[in-house]
Amino acid sequence: MLGMVLERIGLAAFTMALIAVVCFAGLQLMPGDACTVHLGRGASDTALATCRSRMGLDQPAMTRFVAWADRLAHGDLGVSAQRGKPIGEIVGWRLRNTLILAVMAAAMGIPLALFLGVASGLSRDGPVDIAISTIAIFGMTVPEFISGTLMILIFSVTLNWATGVVLAGYRAPVMELVRASILPSATLTFILAAHILRMVRASIIEVLQSEFVLMARLKGVPRRQIIWRHVVPNALLPAISVIGLTAAWLLGGVVIVESVFNYPGLGRLAVDAVADQDLPLVQAIALLFGIIYVAVNLGSDLLAMALNPRLRTLRG
Amino acid sequence: MHRLFRATAVAAILTGLFLSATGTAHAEKVFHRANDLSFGGSESIDPLSPNRFYEVTDLLYDRLMRQGPDGSAVPALALSWQSNDTATEWTLKLRPGVKFHDGSDFDATDVKYSLERINDPALESPVAAVLGIISEVEVIDPLTVKIKLSTPHSGIPLLLYDYRVRMIPDGSGPTIGTTGIGTGPFKLASYDPESTTELVANPDYWDGAPKLDRITFTAIPDSEARNQAMLAGQLDYNGLTRDQMPLYQDNPKFTVQKYPSGSWFGIAFISDAAPLDDPRVRKALRIAVDRQAMLNLAVGEGNGEVTCDSPVMKTDPYRANLNCPQDIDGAKKLLADAGYPNGIDIDVYTADLEPGMVQFAEIYQQQVAAAGIRVNLKLAPSDGYWDDVWMQKNCVTSWGERPADQFLNEAYRTGADWNESHFANAKFDKLLDEARTTLDVNKARDYYVKAQEILFEEGGTLIAYQEDERRVLSSKVTGIPALGEDYIKWNEVDLTE
Repeated sequence: MLGMVLERIGLAAFTMALIAVVCFAGLQLMPGDACTVHLGRGASDTALATCRSRMGLDQPAMTRFVAWADRLAHGDLGVSAQRGKPIGEIVGWRLRNTLILAVMAAAMGIPLALFLGVASGLSRDGPVDIAISTIAIFGMTVPEFISGTLMILIFSVTLNWATGVVLAGYRAPVMELVRASILPSATLTFILAAHILRMVRASIIEVLQSEFVLMARLKGVPRRQIIWRHVVPNALLPAISVIGLTAAWLLGGVVIVESVFNYPGLGRLAVDAVADQDLPLVQAIALLFGIIYVAVNLGSDLLAMALNPRLRTLRG
Repeated sequence: MHRLFRATAVAAILTGLFLSATGTAHAEKVFHRANDLSFGGSESIDPLSPNRFYEVTDLLYDRLMRQGPDGSAVPALALSWQSNDTATEWTLKLRPGVKFHDGSDFDATDVKYSLERINDPALESPVAAVLGIISEVEVIDPLTVKIKLSTPHSGIPLLLYDYRVRMIPDGSGPTIGTTGIGTGPFKLASYDPESTTELVANPDYWDGAPKLDRITFTAIPDSEARNQAMLAGQLDYNGLTRDQMPLYQDNPKFTVQKYPSGSWFGIAFISDAAPLDDPRVRKALRIAVDRQAMLNLAVGEGNGEVTCDSPVMKTDPYRANLNCPQDIDGAKKLLADAGYPNGIDIDVYTADLEPGMVQFAEIYQQQVAAAGIRVNLKLAPSDGYWDDVWMQKNCVTSWGERPADQFLNEAYRTGADWNESHFANAKFDKLLDEARTTLDVNKARDYYVKAQEILFEEGGTLIAYQEDERRVLSSKVTGIPALGEDYIKWNEVDLTE
């Protein structure tokens, strides 16, 4: 048991190291560098040389990677090339804002998905199931930049119920951001809920067909008791890992949703930093995304293990 | 549960009371704009910074001259100007009674400081390429300065209305990037290019107190998000792409404005290597183009102005008005004369850097095929395009407006820093020199026009048209003319219900 947990944690750490290497290498492969972007097209050769030596870009890539990894190990994310501020400070505010958005989406989306998934699975092929499943298909297939834009068009431009694009700054108070993020979090909720409810529905249907449910039915256990004592708990176990994966997906989703809604979070910062070729910042964000992704997965794996004794002995 | 509900209800009522109280207290006129964060948060409100936050510096600081509707210079902080006979010294009379936002008086020492600062090597200001010829500014009396030039220049008033040449208090260079103290119609209240920047009216503005109370800038880097914010009524002013225009056109909530700008895409052909070192080949590559058709295809009919390879914009007093219809036979003949009776193969690089840059090259490729010009299009990566391709290969280029003298000298004079086509022509250079020493405006115009004619005959850069720019305003906005940003007098802008 402990061995398995340690193995998972070890794997997670290895993945994070790999992420660090990949995002560093990826940015090296791009033509141009932070200085050519920073100084633009009229940059003189001397200005470029000064800028490169100031940012240490005249050093070989290996040297820069080692220096970066060393500082990172000491908790120093470095200084943003474009913004000239410590990355910890820049990223800290955005991380808070993204967490606000993610928590709102998860708090609305997960219970909604569980409820709708169970309802849908229990009334398989009935009108309720068909209605829910159809909406879910839209949620899964329509890209977030379309659903987000439609949300603004319907609820803000046409009906004027909610603010459309977020005008609050990255340092805005929490409550202001919560109010401003109704539409973006609804967009995320829609997609998130669709994915989870499909999984819950499939899982409910599978458990309903299992032998122990048949046995319970033959034994004369009342339907309500079969569902709430045997079907739902067993069906929700696999949903935990899907919730984990979907929560991690939220991070990718926020990149697009935040850009569409101009939400001042990590996702929009990631897009801006790539556009500016702010290398230290891109590395820090990619690493942070990687860490969150791995941590959420690790957490859901461990939770599933804790709740489901069968996973503790089955290896693989 | 009950208690929670009650608490929420109380909170909601209190919030409502609070909102209505603040709402009725004072009907402030707040004008909302967005900034696109194009410098990624390193925007500076130092007007000379290469990363100048133009929309804000325009509100905070004044220039000595403004740009008149015909492109001439009209008084702003300078009331009048006079040159000596050789155009090496310019004497400016300054506007009396002007105060900076901190209450101090604006005078000749501030002008001396602001102008001499352009040449500070530590600033690496791009303005030095234009006004580096200012060798000294002499304070004659508190309201008179004499600008001394290292080389004669008759067009100084036109160069001084450059959008970056703004007056700041004497000695304020080290702090100007945070204080924003100028003489402009608005004062800096808070500044954060990455979230919100706020300006408040300067009631003592010399040209009349602003009608707006505040102007805010919100960072919205994504063009589509800016568009959504405009549609949702969260902004009062926004730039528009051509594709976005139909969204606003027949909507009573918005006003769409279109105005000429000097921006263009062109193809810079490297002129100092065979076969393009032959001016006949270069001319053939340019006259084979149907410019009107190209304009119609690339930006839509009525969205620009056909141009005969002159970078000078339509409203510039020195613009040459040439005629340049498509001439396939002429192009064929020029190629045959130059030794290419069977046509010619040419590489042209482009990149998906700005919308339309790739299509521009594709249209060119199709149009000139009839003249036997076989264009081999090469798509280069957007990143690093200006460093790895531009100035080195035949490539699609993009420029914004500049005064004639500045443009011709920066991008076409032999050996100039941004001479993207490697164009070298002694006669052309001489015309530019003569124009600069001629104080007679009509004579100077003749020189500039002749220089542009040389570009059409022998130049290496195709400029088929100059595109109009567009903006959308909330229909409440008044006082913004359908002209470039430089012409807007922000103290006259208002919001009416």
